[in-house]
Amino acid sequence: MSETKEAAIDLGRGGVEVELRGLSRYFKETTALKSLSMRAQPGELVVLLGPSGCGKTTALRMLAGLDAPDEGNILIGGKDVTSLPAAKRNIGMVFQSYSLFPNMTTRENVEFGLRVRGQKAKERSERSKEMLSLVGLTSMADRFPHQLSGGQQQRVALARALAIKPQLLLLDEPLSALDAKVRAQLREEIRRIQLELGITTFFVTHDQEEALALADRIAVMHQGRLEQLDTPLAVYSSPATEFVAEFVGTVNRLRGVVVDTGTVDVEMVGKVAYRSGPALSPGTRVQVLIRPESLGVTPASQEGSEVLSRSFLGASTKLSVRNPSGDAIVVEVSVAEAAGVADSAAVQLFARGEALLVRPALP
Amino acid sequence: MATVTPDLQRAGGGGSNVLRLGKPFRYSVLTLVGAFFIIPILASARFSFLGNNNSFTFSAYTQLFGTPQFWSTLWLSVKVGVGTVALTLALLIPTVIFVHVRLPRLRRLFESVSLLPLVIPSVVVTLGVITSFRNLPNIIYGTPVILALEYVVLALPYSYRTFDSAVQSIDLKTLVDAGQSLGAGWIKLLRFAILPNLRSGLLGASILTFAFCLGEFAVASLLSFTTFPVFLVQVGRLEASQAVALSLIALIFTWIPLALVMIVFSQRRGGRRGAGVEAAIESAVAE
Repeated sequence: MSETKEAAIDLGRGGVEVELRGLSRYFKETTALKSLSMRAQPGELVVLLGPSGCGKTTALRMLAGLDAPDEGNILIGGKDVTSLPAAKRNIGMVFQSYSLFPNMTTRENVEFGLRVRGQKAKERSERSKEMLSLVGLTSMADRFPHQLSGGQQQRVALARALAIKPQLLLLDEPLSALDAKVRAQLREEIRRIQLELGITTFFVTHDQEEALALADRIAVMHQGRLEQLDTPLAVYSSPATEFVAEFVGTVNRLRGVVVDTGTVDVEMVGKVAYRSGPALSPGTRVQVLIRPESLGVTPASQEGSEVLSRSFLGASTKLSVRNPSGDAIVVEVSVAEAAGVADSAAVQLFARGEALLVRPALP
Repeated sequence: MATVTPDLQRAGGGGSNVLRLGKPFRYSVLTLVGAFFIIPILASARFSFLGNNNSFTFSAYTQLFGTPQFWSTLWLSVKVGVGTVALTLALLIPTVIFVHVRLPRLRRLFESVSLLPLVIPSVVVTLGVITSFRNLPNIIYGTPVILALEYVVLALPYSYRTFDSAVQSIDLKTLVDAGQSLGAGWIKLLRFAILPNLRSGLLGASILTFAFCLGEFAVASLLSFTTFPVFLVQVGRLEASQAVALSLIALIFTWIPLALVMIVFSQRRGGRRGAGVEAAIESAVAE
């Protein structure tokens, strides 16, 4: 108990472990969350990633104490807080919509949590200065929320959430209302502050790029269930399920036949190695999930696949290729390699990397 | 694009021409509307100052101010008005906030219920309230408290909608969630974070309710209370110029708090809040 309390007071010098045990939430006929279990290490940033309605925000609201689970427990720093109201959890939260109190200045907003805790004005003032300096908004202390841009408002919301020295920081799609440039800047800033303070953080988003850039680990969720919890690299390169493979990054779904354990012969591509998937006997017809960057193209002398269009991405080029069966295949290659094939020209596809997943083909 | 741009330019040019032409038109309309409201008031004022042989006199006012019943009825109406406002706010604040935060799907239902006093005759509402509160202690039944209870119900269409609109203008649920996550209980949340942002709605609802109480005749008369409007009707039966003078006084009593509120809140910091209050009061007055 005392360890937990120390951890709560000593923000930024360790963080706490957070554990979700079999959390479920039902809304009449709908299952918003089904037996969600995961554990975040002290100081870790876990991103809850998934499409709308996958239960990620529900899980976050339960962590904050703003919603109660129908089943399961929440442990923060080893202490069961499942029945503790939001006001007593000492958790900082930043919301998707701008949540600053419109009647208060930036400084008053940051000091709000300290004010309701009965802290003295001098201590509040020092803490708000410290927090506003942390988010780079010292000069905006006397402005009202309507006098700030969206990005500035979210920074103030972050400073306000951190001012109370929370044991856990929760961010519910805090960047989704911002334009792309501000989003990228603030994303980096959030990561910098999180690392600086070492606070355990849960970040909800439906943006895979944001998740890959920010997370220590990503929890991919789908229909109220946890599909995979792993590092960004593992989620991208070794997805546990077809949903993860398709939701995180782009994936081609091609036809093939199992050659032996670890090799499939993919239609119009050739032999491709794979590691993940069920044990399949040679000759089994399969679906092969493969990333665009795991394929390459060379000019072909005879009719075969053809280049339909290309998108220049700066460091690479994305080609849209149609195989003789009429399937569209996305291939991401270097600019030089793309220059070697002309539009509408016949090309030969080949594998330069492993397949993500191999699944028995549907009859 | 090439065909769109000239169209847009033409549209823009047309719009600015309309605006230029519209300025005198708008002033004319405003003058006409102003005259529609002001002329009857000025005519009434002139009538109230007319003595024998069309001479100018304050006699209607001096006689009224010298009548004890003037002060007692005014005091009764003010007391009932203040009580009604207090009861209305005590009922509205928790109800509307609870509906918005916890039962948003029932918002339309509550709104419809709040409009019922407009379609149910006030006599029926009066009898309903009397019947409902018949068994209450004497401190309520048979005292002006019963009148305040009646007015809470009858003014609900104005007070509820005004306050509900103010609540809709802020993201209440997120503010509540944010406040709670920062450690605030409901009382601190209401005091520091929610009610200050609903000031315009609270003022609008209060002013409308108070104005309603100062002008309501039928229910007060039915319940045999001599309030200010009842006194006005009684005076009107005997002395027309005093009745008109009383009407003007009632108008002034409604305008003074309105003007004070607008002046006080337009000078508050932030500017925006003052503007919000003005807008709310304008809409309240318009209703």
